[in-house]
Amino acid sequence: MQASNVLNYDYSVAKCFTYATILFGIVGMLIGVIIAYQMAYPELNYFAGEYGTYSRLRPLHTSGVIFGFLLSGIFATWYYVGQRVLKVSIAESKFLMSVGRVHFWLYLVVILMAVVSLFMGISTSKEYAELEWPLDIGVVLLWVLWGISIFGLIGIRREKTLYVSIWYYIATFLGVAMLYLFNNMEVPTYFVSGMGKWYHSVSMYAGTNDAMVQWWYGHNAVAFVFTVPIVAMIYYFLPKESAQPIFSYKLSILSFWGLMFVYLWAGGHHLLYSTVPDWVQTMGSIFSIILILPSWGSAINMLLTMKGEWGQLKENPLIKFMVLASTFYMLSTLEGPIQAIKSVNALAHFTDWIPGHVHDGTLGWVGFMTMAALYHMTPRMFKKELFSKKLMESQFWLQTTGIVMYFSSMWIAGITQGMMWRASDQYGNLEYSFMDTVSVLIPYYTLRATGGLFYLIGFLLFAYNMYKTITSGKAILSEPQNSSPMQA
Amino acid sequence: MFHWLERNPFFFAVGVFLVIAYAGVVTILPDFMESARPVIGTKPYTVLELAGRQIYIKDSCNACHSQLIRPFKSETDRYGMYSLSGEYAYDRPFLWGSKRTGPDLMRVGNYRTTDWHDHHMRNPQSVVSGSIMPAYKHMYTNNADIQTAYAEAYTVKKVFNVPYDKPNMPRLGTFEEANKEVMKEASAIIADMKSDDVKEAFKKGEIKEIVALIAYLNSLK
Amino acid sequence: MNWLSDNVNLLALIGAAVIIILVVFVVGKYIKQMKHDKGSGELMSDNWDGIGEYKNPLPIGWSLSFIGTIIWAIWYFLVGYPLNSYSQIGEYNKEVAEHNARFENKWANPDKDTLMGMGKGIFLVQCAPCHGVLGDGMDAKSADLTYWGGEDAVVEAILKGVKGSHYPLEEMPAGLLDEASAKAVTAFMMKEINVKKSTKNPDLVETGRPLWATCSACHGEDGKGMGGMSADISQYGTPEFIANVLNLGKKGLIGDMPKFTDDRLTKVQKLAVGTYIQSLRQ
Ligand code: HEC
Ligand code: HEC
Ligand code: HEC
Ligand code: HEM
Ligand code: HEM
Ligand SMILES: [Ca+2]
Ligand SMILES: [Ca+2]
Ligand SMILES: [Cu+2]
Repeated sequence: MQASNVLNYDYSVAKCFTYATILFGIVGMLIGVIIAYQMAYPELNYFAGEYGTYSRLRPLHTSGVIFGFLLSGIFATWYYVGQRVLKVSIAESKFLMSVGRVHFWLYLVVILMAVVSLFMGISTSKEYAELEWPLDIGVVLLWVLWGISIFGLIGIRREKTLYVSIWYYIATFLGVAMLYLFNNMEVPTYFVSGMGKWYHSVSMYAGTNDAMVQWWYGHNAVAFVFTVPIVAMIYYFLPKESAQPIFSYKLSILSFWGLMFVYLWAGGHHLLYSTVPDWVQTMGSIFSIILILPSWGSAINMLLTMKGEWGQLKENPLIKFMVLASTFYMLSTLEGPIQAIKSVNALAHFTDWIPGHVHDGTLGWVGFMTMAALYHMTPRMFKKELFSKKLMESQFWLQTTGIVMYFSSMWIAGITQGMMWRASDQYGNLEYSFMDTVSVLIPYYTLRATGGLFYLIGFLLFAYNMYKTITSGKAILSEPQNSSPMQA
Repeated sequence: MFHWLERNPFFFAVGVFLVIAYAGVVTILPDFMESARPVIGTKPYTVLELAGRQIYIKDSCNACHSQLIRPFKSETDRYGMYSLSGEYAYDRPFLWGSKRTGPDLMRVGNYRTTDWHDHHMRNPQSVVSGSIMPAYKHMYTNNADIQTAYAEAYTVKKVFNVPYDKPNMPRLGTFEEANKEVMKEASAIIADMKSDDVKEAFKKGEIKEIVALIAYLNSLK
Repeated sequence: MNWLSDNVNLLALIGAAVIIILVVFVVGKYIKQMKHDKGSGELMSDNWDGIGEYKNPLPIGWSLSFIGTIIWAIWYFLVGYPLNSYSQIGEYNKEVAEHNARFENKWANPDKDTLMGMGKGIFLVQCAPCHGVLGDGMDAKSADLTYWGGEDAVVEAILKGVKGSHYPLEEMPAGLLDEASAKAVTAFMMKEINVKKSTKNPDLVETGRPLWATCSACHGEDGKGMGGMSADISQYGTPEFIANVLNLGKKGLIGDMPKFTDDRLTKVQKLAVGTYIQSLRQ
């Protein structure tokens, strides 16, 4: 095995994005907890005038965690993993180095402007694509910079063959680029009419077409932001941390190409029983079922990589995070396809079961994997031992409890709500008023919010642990090969 | 072949792109024209309604409310006739939503009225006890943005041939003409409202956000 | 209602169970391997930052399932789905037809109890948002239905006037009579004109009789509204009257009540909710 630290990798950009991940993670999840409590206690809507209502905050939560927390996590790991598996330091190219820096600063500016604009209610209403066109341009620019960084680094690589993680980073780049461009086609109204707000725009597509484009985007935003780059991470960090070779190259390949091919067809499952043509819906359902396999392929590959390594799982909290992440990945990629079956969707759509599904994936899979990745990177970037293993253990159990509370309450709430909407009385009339179906959910909303609070506290423990590691962790002399050093 | 691709990043990227781009072309394009055709009787929004729609978007009502009635008896009993594709022909963007924390609003204009919305938007719990919908008091102080609404109507007319100013369709005309129309519509709504602050403001020529929003909600039929 | 008689409910519950069971089962299997097996295999020649990859074959279960779903998908899209000639609107029409068939008997000749039970449910779903769960109009935000329909309500109508259903005669002006006369004419109307044929103030009937001319000018000698020119007050206070309000809507002095002319309520359902409302005034 070739010692990897012969090269002097430059982590300055990765570090910047690491800070951003933690910062936006706190902000995004704090808002998540607030909106969750608002659903149980509506009085909480009024702490900040019009800026504190549930409906202003909800897009801030989704954009905050997706484009703030997660995207910076993806960039942070890219600027770390990319160099290492391509065996080239970004500092070897002055050009790439400055691209990386500009990438970070532009990213920061765009995100901060996005936060302000969403608070002000400047939104196009499309889920996960709420930003108005001036910010879209910013997003496109920073995406191009990231692309230059990816392909630039690949261009000067020493490792001829691309490692699995790189496949997934490339796919993330291409997928999001294509989706984002098409879904954000909008006409700025000021330039046509010469009046009104200069930043206002109107969608290029109308009605059912707009819905199809949006959910082709929305579904695949899940694919290329919540799944593909996270798979990129786990393919690097799990084997690296555990010193185990990946279980099967064949499984890596088939899962990758399978995922790429199948994912894009499944978007119709967001539009079941809507006014899009039946065949598009059916296509969405069918491909969702197939999608279980390429998704599970990666997860199984990871779990089998840990074959015989129960000891590590018990001893190393990082491994725990990653194994649980794979498990939640399996859970949500089975749950999704089942919800995509038309008859099940008839009940599940529009209910809390969907946010339940969402957070199985985002809290369990995305959140756990991102935190594990940052934990792994920190001792190597800062040359410090992780501050406290005990804290990590507490964090792990606290957050796991939080997730279980979140999803069990939302499963029950969603299924209850769905059944109550459908229920008819002995005369064949609707049995429940809409308000009846809201009142019964309040206890579950409280439970969910509290689960979310646990998760947030866990994240604060994570942030504290990282902070202490960076500022006062015990210095280490040479880079650890595998399992990350940590103090009890 | 795969291993070859893994050594040739350019072709690898092209391969990935082709594989992922294919699906969109096959699933979205074929029905594009069909889905854009309006149902007979569907009309574009008036300027005041559009202003209301922009407020609906600004305050993300779609975070809690859907506008899509699925073809189930339990839904048509609660909300009315299931949705048809052509009814959305002038919806840019579409506002189907993906979560029903509150009820569907696709046809709320059929069974709620101006004065009810007035009570409800100011304080939902005052009409529906236990409601978890936030009160939108700021809509009673912020003014509606008629200019941007006009700009949007004008834009869709010019760019997408939305049939404003056609026979039996809403009139748009110049901004001054449109504005007159807006004042007329607003005054009819305000007459049905109970809120004195809104009435006072209107006397001074101001149209509050709530007025436009109610115009929009009433148009949902 | 039997929750599980609904296919959709049943499938959703089964789905939820399958998710949990399958994940626990499969992950449990791999956990066991973590505990008891040992990773092994032939390594690929490549190595990235210390990470190797085994050339292990695909897990059998996984490959078979993958191939299985692909074959199923092709079959389903090319054969299963077209042969089924499924359409969601067709499915809807069937659902409605079955539903109507099931309730045909109940709705054909509903007795009073049926109407009451049915009406209460409908009221809570369709009317309570405006009239309140108790029907009291929630601080005069809409009509107080626990009060509506009685003689005092008619007197109030005469004193304050009535408008909003857009009859050809448009509105009934306020203050047609003073309070005492109003009470008397109401007694007469309830006793002689109205289908209820009874009044709380039988002693006032004769005082009221001559005053009826004021009313018949618009409502007709028989109170039936002169062929739709104004309200048919021979029906006042009955389910039929309420059903008519639902058909016309009412933009009155208190507020604006919508019409219920989309097809959410059938005729029987309107009468049922009327029966329920009639019972509110006790
Ligand atoms: C936190 C979730 C939430 C938000 C945000 C929200 N609502 Fe609601 N809405 C509800 C709930 C719950 C109900 C049902 C209870 C009630 O009628 O108050 C409701 C009911 C309604 C109704 C009555 C519909 C009916 O059939 O009774 C209307 C109209 C409405 N909302 C409009 C709006 C508008 C407009 C906005 C945005 C400015 C909005 N809502 C934002 C939750 C929400
Ligand atoms: C000028 C014509 C006119 C006269 C005179 C008149 N009514 Fe009416 N009345 C109407 C109209 C029109 C309505 C229907 C109003 C609506 O609902 O839009 C009505 C409605 C009513 C109602 C129904 C009230 C409700 O709650 O819906 C009652 C009861 C009634 N009238 C009784 C009387 C009596 C008793 C008199 C005589 C003292 C009388 N009316 C005289 C025109 C008249
Ligand atoms: C959106 C609000 C709203 C809904 C929904 C509503 N109502 Fe009303 N209703 C009103 C208002 C407001 C009035 C008072 C009108 C007035 O006289 O100013 C009223 C009046 C009435 C009256 C008295 C009419 C009269 O002649 O005086 C009856 C009876 C009535 N409603 C029955 C119903 C029934 C039955 C339902 C449901 C199937 C229903 N309402 C649903 C708002 C509503
Ligand atoms: C095999 C994989 C998956 C399939 C087939 C799938 C399917 C579905 C379905 C059917 C819905 C509900 C649509 C609706 O009725 O509204 C949904 C929603 C959603 N899923 Fe998945 N899912 C999968 C994996 C995931 C994963 C791994 C994540 C995240 C980590 C995720 C995130 C989401 C999100 C965010 C939504 C909400 C979309 C909205 O705003 O409505 N999904 N998914
Ligand atoms: C602290 C933990 C969190 C809490 C308490 C929380 C809470 C919430 C709430 C209350 C909603 C709205 C649900 C609804 O509309 O009914 C929501 C939506 C959402 N959250 Fe979170 N969240 C948390 C963390 C996260 C994280 C870490 C992510 C992603 C990485 C995430 C992604 C999303 C997404 C994509 C949606 C939209 C779902 C949909 O539209 O169906 N959340 N969250
Ligand atoms: Ca945009
Ligand atoms: Ca959603
Ligand atoms: Cu999806």
